[in-house]
Amino acid sequence: MKTLAYSLLALGLTTSPLMAEDLTVMTAGDQNMVDYINDYLGPLFEKQNPGVKVRAVGTGPGDAGSQKILERFDAQAGANVATWDADVAVVHEKFVGPMVEKKYLAKYRDQIESGKLVTRENAKMALGTNVDGYVMPMFNSQTALAYNPALVATPPKSYDELVAWAKANPKQFGYNGIKGGASGVSFVMGWIYAFAGDGDKLQQGPFEASEAEKWAPAFAKLKDFTTNATLTPGNAGTLDMLSRGEIAIGPVWVDMFYSWKATGKLPPDMKLVLPAPGMPGQPMHYTIPEKAPHKDLAEKFVNLATSPEVQAKGIVERFNWYPGIDAQHVQAKLDKATWEKLFTDIGPADLAKNGKAFPIAPYNKAILEAYERQVGN
Amino acid sequence: MKTTMIDLKWIPRALGLGLLAFAIFGPLTNLVLWAVAEKWYFPHALPLQYGFSYWVSVFSPRGNATTSLTMSVLIACLTVIFSIGLAVPAGYALARLKLPFRGAILLVLLIPQAFPNLPVYVNIARLFYQLGLNGTVVGVVLVHVTHGLVYAVWIATAAFSAIDRELEEAARSMGASAFKTFCDVTLPIAAPGLLASAIFVFLESLDEFTGTYFVGAPDISTLPLLLYTAGSGGNYQIASITALILLVPSIAFMIVIERFLKADVLSKVGR
Amino acid sequence: MPIPLLGLLLVMPALVIVLILFIVPLVSSITGAFAVDGLFGFANFQKAFELYSSDIVFTIVIVSLSAVLIGLLSVAIGGYLTLGSNPRAVAILRWLYRWPLFVPFIVVGQILRTFLAKNGLMNSLLMQADILTPMQTTSFLDWRGIVIAFVWKQTPFVTLLLAGAMASLDRSMIESARNLGASRLRILIEIILPQVLPTLLVGLILSFVTMMSVLSVPLMINAQSPTMITASMAFRINAYGDYGVANALGVISLLTTSLVGWVYLRQTMREHR
Repeated sequence: MKTLAYSLLALGLTTSPLMAEDLTVMTAGDQNMVDYINDYLGPLFEKQNPGVKVRAVGTGPGDAGSQKILERFDAQAGANVATWDADVAVVHEKFVGPMVEKKYLAKYRDQIESGKLVTRENAKMALGTNVDGYVMPMFNSQTALAYNPALVATPPKSYDELVAWAKANPKQFGYNGIKGGASGVSFVMGWIYAFAGDGDKLQQGPFEASEAEKWAPAFAKLKDFTTNATLTPGNAGTLDMLSRGEIAIGPVWVDMFYSWKATGKLPPDMKLVLPAPGMPGQPMHYTIPEKAPHKDLAEKFVNLATSPEVQAKGIVERFNWYPGIDAQHVQAKLDKATWEKLFTDIGPADLAKNGKAFPIAPYNKAILEAYERQVGN
Repeated sequence: MKTTMIDLKWIPRALGLGLLAFAIFGPLTNLVLWAVAEKWYFPHALPLQYGFSYWVSVFSPRGNATTSLTMSVLIACLTVIFSIGLAVPAGYALARLKLPFRGAILLVLLIPQAFPNLPVYVNIARLFYQLGLNGTVVGVVLVHVTHGLVYAVWIATAAFSAIDRELEEAARSMGASAFKTFCDVTLPIAAPGLLASAIFVFLESLDEFTGTYFVGAPDISTLPLLLYTAGSGGNYQIASITALILLVPSIAFMIVIERFLKADVLSKVGR
Repeated sequence: MPIPLLGLLLVMPALVIVLILFIVPLVSSITGAFAVDGLFGFANFQKAFELYSSDIVFTIVIVSLSAVLIGLLSVAIGGYLTLGSNPRAVAILRWLYRWPLFVPFIVVGQILRTFLAKNGLMNSLLMQADILTPMQTTSFLDWRGIVIAFVWKQTPFVTLLLAGAMASLDRSMIESARNLGASRLRILIEIILPQVLPTLLVGLILSFVTMMSVLSVPLMINAQSPTMITASMAFRINAYGDYGVANALGVISLLTTSLVGWVYLRQTMREHR
């Protein structure tokens, strides 16, 4: 035991943060993101690149997970570390902007082959910051309302219908406010799009502080609505209460919804609906730090991860997630049934029309703070 | 007559113990059930389907659960040794010797627990990068020690203060040196408190994840890191299994400490 | 060697570790709380009070209430372990009370969330045993859930310390009191408790401090506003990248716990002299 301890200790003391051929992938998000890299992507990459070992480090779900990656970069930049310890970082859209502005990331998209397969707007702009070239979307996610068909006979197709439904069924709608994760935030953003006008301006800018004055009536309405709703503890908390029948409907991340179903924690008959005028979604992005220890390998890895084959087999077929690269390249690799499973509850037309982006960063902050003052307190 | 008296006394006892057992094992049952639940949702009071597929995934070769567990235990043990080693002299001095700024010193040692750490980690990580301690066992142990010392020093101070000075003075008057008195008289009496604090330091280290992430990852991977990702994402099965695995070293450590304690205390009896 | 110097020498290693590895990094957090656009100011504190004053009060009330309950329960359990007349009951209790100690906070949050919910395991079991009807079930996932989680997790912590202190007491006084016919409750309150009070207080202060800085329990159990300071700090950082207000909240939390620690220290210092 003692010798083991000493040798492990010695190992720990002598290991420099960069082992020769270890590709380190840091990923925010749920356990299934880590599993995806460990069980699927990692082995695939290792087979193509003998001698390389892929290491996945999960930093936790939600914004907190991405924030931890950003803070890690902050720490390494602050300490003037020459070579950082992450090769690839998978982060939420919101955190890419600050990372690019702080010059932490490499501009790599033009160097990799699958780079041209992405033309969607959200791969160029991230909440108002130009990130063109610095990111490759791993998958796109969307928030929607999950409901229990046994308790909700006709699901609300719009925010207006939802308000009416919630009035008729007090406490049966549940959401996680804004402090417990982005599905609640997303519901609030959708609320502002629905009841306070100019969604396009919020999503594209320019930022005008005076815009906030227009939101007051919508927040008053939301405060009133919230008294009739149940507050749930977090993104997972909403799904949790849905699974126990304590609420009948609530906003969730579509990807989480499917993974909860897959792990037997939600009744199989649960469904999704995306109400008009829409709720936000966001991509998870692959990024490569400018000072990554194995930049070439990292580019190869992202290239593999965003190739049509992997996007088809890994993202769509395995997880039922919306692909990161443009849909037509992925669809070509899949049979019709698998592809259409993506649109079981929410059709492509609804998704195109009601799948919105989050407001640009300054509006995002302003809306959250206005919520804290006008609804939360 | 006497036997019925005893039987009657068991009614409130059983009632009290039963309630306590429900309060403690109710939630723990939940933990165990989730560890073997494959499907569980309303309106079913108990899981619909049981199985071990999540155990398989936790222990899959790439999951590194066994290495992480070994690493967690190693770090926890080193943290205990280091913390207690620092806390015994410090606690003795704080309890027994005339010390300037005694209160201030105790308060300073309390701060790592008293300031919610979230905004501080980024600074800690920067410091550890500067010192070249990132990604090393020593680095992680040091981070755990800063938190463990709170328990170790405060409890050691309380344990030493509780000892009757007359006992020590009696030993000294019989010609024992100060050091010998400390080893033979003071330390054994303070032992239960010190060992209890060792348990807390061990558990604190075994449960810690944020500091481990900032200072240890990606080279050092411990089980709580996995637990945190799974737990906060609502992956109940993986989180429950990890928590159950972590119970093993915790309880083993407790049992070892208790054996040690009993033997020690018993050996003093009748001397 | 003069005694103060020897004392300092013994304390120094522990102190140096904490100073260098925690207090130094903390300093930039604390100065950050007072920095407004690079200048010294109180805007962060102003904002913290404006938006989160109810959270601050809520946190202090919840943690104090939990500490009181933990104190009462641990004295009761520790007292029974020391004075209980039936060895079997004592053994069962000793075996029973410790389990929650080994469950990390984040798992406490998870299992109590699925246990205490309206349709959670507890209510399901009570319904199956016909103790409750579906109409009578309520969810405990609000402030009560946090208190239950804290008490569940921290009572064994304080009890373990307390029972250790009680066990090392001189039995002769207890025995003679008993021979004189004093009730066990009286012995506990009048003889045992005064002697183990310092240990009890240390345990409670450490619990208080621990509970003040736990994040996962409020995040997983209580969704309502107000919530605990730590949850608001996390929100400030994750949603806004706003370390200023988060650090201001941290300073408020630190001041609260230091106040509690200082009151205790002043008490013991008086005895110390």
